[in-house]
Amino acid sequence: MRKNKTLIWGFALFCLLAAVSSVSAASYGLKEVTPVINKAIVNRQGRYEILAGLKSQNNVGEDNRGYVKALGGGAQVEAVVAAENEDRRFIYENIAQQNNLGPEGLATIESVFAEVQREKAKPGESIQLPDGQWTKK
Amino acid sequence: MKSFLKAMALILLSVSAAGCTIKTVGDPNRPITINANVVVDIRGLKQTANSIEDMVAKGGRDAEK
Repeated sequence: MRKNKTLIWGFALFCLLAAVSSVSAASYGLKEVTPVINKAIVNRQGRYEILAGLKSQNNVGEDNRGYVKALGGGAQVEAVVAAENEDRRFIYENIAQQNNLGPEGLATIESVFAEVQREKAKPGESIQLPDGQWTKK
Repeated sequence: MKSFLKAMALILLSVSAAGCTIKTVGDPNRPITINANVVVDIRGLKQTANSIEDMVAKGGRDAEK
């Protein structure tokens, strides 16, 4: 009877430790908003309305890797897209760096951001699905 | 006393099983390659992504006003 009690307590303790270790392993995210990350966010805020307009005209779409893609509109659109993607890449790389994630981790970060962008896209805007196909939301 | 020792042994066993470190010993001329698959839990990342995109959108809309 006493032996059983010890075994039960031991098993319960093991479960608790396993749960704690799995939860602590799941805390990936932006640990610190450094001045350079903040600058990238402010840059993005500055072009948000321009980008929103281009998206509503379907000159820009959200791809499946967390970046924007020029779908029409010429050199001016290309310039906005390049600047936006540069800031996004910078943010993604910093998240990967802060969490000690390698290239595979960066790819995961990009795909998570892509998923969020698809969810936040307004009806009629162009989005790329995970399988690579472009569609209008 | 005996049950106390048993309990301690179980605790130590649990701790080592829940979070263990792998140590390899081998011939330096024949290095062992370990391919580790790192699984990134996306819950925290998705929350981060949502927060950043909300911040960009809110700041962008406020800047226009």
